[in-house]
Amino acid sequence: MPEITDVENEFIREEIEEYLEQPNEIERAINTFSQISSAMQEIAAALIDGDHHTVDQLTSTALEEGTDALEIMDDGLIAGMSIVGIKFRENFIFVPEVLACARAMKAGMAYIEPILSASGIEPVGTVVMGTVKGDLHDIGKNLCIMMLRGAGFVVHDLSVDTSEDEFIDAVEEYDADLLGMSALLTTTMPNMGKTIEAFIDADLRDDVKIMVGGAPVTQEFADDMGADGYGKDAVECVELSKRLLAEDDEEF
Amino acid sequence: METEINSMTSRQRVLAALSREPVDRTPVCNPTSVATVELMDLVDAPFPAANREPELMARLAATGYTELGFDTIMPVFSIIQESSALGCKIQWEQKDNWPTVKMMEPIYEDVDDINIPSDLLTHQDTKCVLDAIKILKKEYGDEVAVIGKTMGPWSLGYHCFGVEPFLLMSLDDPDKTLHCLDKLKKVTIDFGVAQIDAGADALTLPDHATGDLVSGDYYRRYLRDLHIEFVDSIPIPLILHICGRTVDRMDYIAQTGMSAFHYDSKNKPQESIEITQERISLVGNINNPETLFARGPEEVRQEVYSNLDAGIQLVGPECAIPLQTAIENLVEIPKAVQDWHSERAAQN
Repeated sequence: MPEITDVENEFIREEIEEYLEQPNEIERAINTFSQISSAMQEIAAALIDGDHHTVDQLTSTALEEGTDALEIMDDGLIAGMSIVGIKFRENFIFVPEVLACARAMKAGMAYIEPILSASGIEPVGTVVMGTVKGDLHDIGKNLCIMMLRGAGFVVHDLSVDTSEDEFIDAVEEYDADLLGMSALLTTTMPNMGKTIEAFIDADLRDDVKIMVGGAPVTQEFADDMGADGYGKDAVECVELSKRLLAEDDEEF
Repeated sequence: METEINSMTSRQRVLAALSREPVDRTPVCNPTSVATVELMDLVDAPFPAANREPELMARLAATGYTELGFDTIMPVFSIIQESSALGCKIQWEQKDNWPTVKMMEPIYEDVDDINIPSDLLTHQDTKCVLDAIKILKKEYGDEVAVIGKTMGPWSLGYHCFGVEPFLLMSLDDPDKTLHCLDKLKKVTIDFGVAQIDAGADALTLPDHATGDLVSGDYYRRYLRDLHIEFVDSIPIPLILHICGRTVDRMDYIAQTGMSAFHYDSKNKPQESIEITQERISLVGNINNPETLFARGPEEVRQEVYSNLDAGIQLVGPECAIPLQTAIENLVEIPKAVQDWHSERAAQN
């Protein structure tokens, strides 16, 4: 079994030692980072540090040197984002720092996405996300999108004030596996339930897994509305998405 | 030491509690908003008009006292009045929803863009608040505390720059962010002082540096000193309001000299009072979405008792109450406060 000393990059070693507390997460991180190249460790380190200029430069260089785009995404960007997610969940970092890491991720993905798209590589899953009708708050939804993209999902962002028809049209257009709805206001929360009903009325409810979240939303409320899942934050949103996808695979 | 129950007026009770002086019973207070659809129908003062017309605003606000039995009247139901005056685009919505700033269409990109308009206090949406306070002061001024609201510069930053650009700026360029806050504080002070002139007894100062977005250290670095400055510049009891998790910054908040902190149900009453001790009064923290909105009077009563047992100085909902909240849940708050004090008096 690899040890922490097998992780070559000093910054990543320090991150693991300082911020990771759960044994299974420490083991997974050591396993991951001890097996990837020093160049990918550098990209991951720059992403964890929220340094988008360096991620941009290192990604460009790695591609020029012939590194596979998928390797950069998995071993550099997604591996780095997994540490960011843990630090955020444990309140070691907050939204400004996550935004900086997401900006770094985006800088790298600007190179990677066109290559992966052209080569027809399937994403982990396809998600449609939006804030419900009457609600203009988007920071929670955006954090979920950043974390989902950081985990390899393709996400179509419908932005804010999204109507039932817009959700339905997008799920059909993108053939989405998952739909995520967000609300910050108690006044707009019921629009999640109305949207779920609209999917039932359109005979599309079985075609997509629906997850909900937002500050006033609870598991109980999600259950009452008939959602497939509830995530209390962006990190849970990723875990929930993976679980719902796995359930989906089992059903088919 | 407590005096005989119900020997004080609501106004006296609130002002005493804000100063941590003896009260006859714990006041019931919502420093954010008590507007509900049911109350709008009751007095024919619906949203969105009640956010823009002073007579309707005052009429709806008064129901907090006349119908619910709270000890305060708060006429500002939203957090958008001064942002509208600054030029932010507002989605006014209908009766069943709050107006919101269109933060996807920010009005500022840089510190030099910040330009406080000369009509800040005469704009329809700020003047509406000032006129509503005058109406309420005239009608209820002796008996109940009229509370105004002036937004802090951090919240104004979200509205004017957009949440993400503002938060990224705070990380990328702290000096520029401090400069922005310094320029925006004029809005907070000017609108606050104008509400004092209109007759407000106290002011809520929402400044959403919440633990759901930023660290406690952010509050210390960016806001603690500004909030201390507001205590000096706005000569009236100030109630700081920050939603979400805040225990990690309550010690800094208690250092500001503000009269009270309106705290969220994500923070436990006992833990919160142990941190703040006698340095600042606490207002709160009945849960909105799960308790007031979705459950019944018995659950409301339990949360009221939990706050009173912990020694919270003013009891009320944690934030602006959901517009669809049932009146029976809201009137349970003052009933439970009264019963708790009666039970305690009987025990002594």
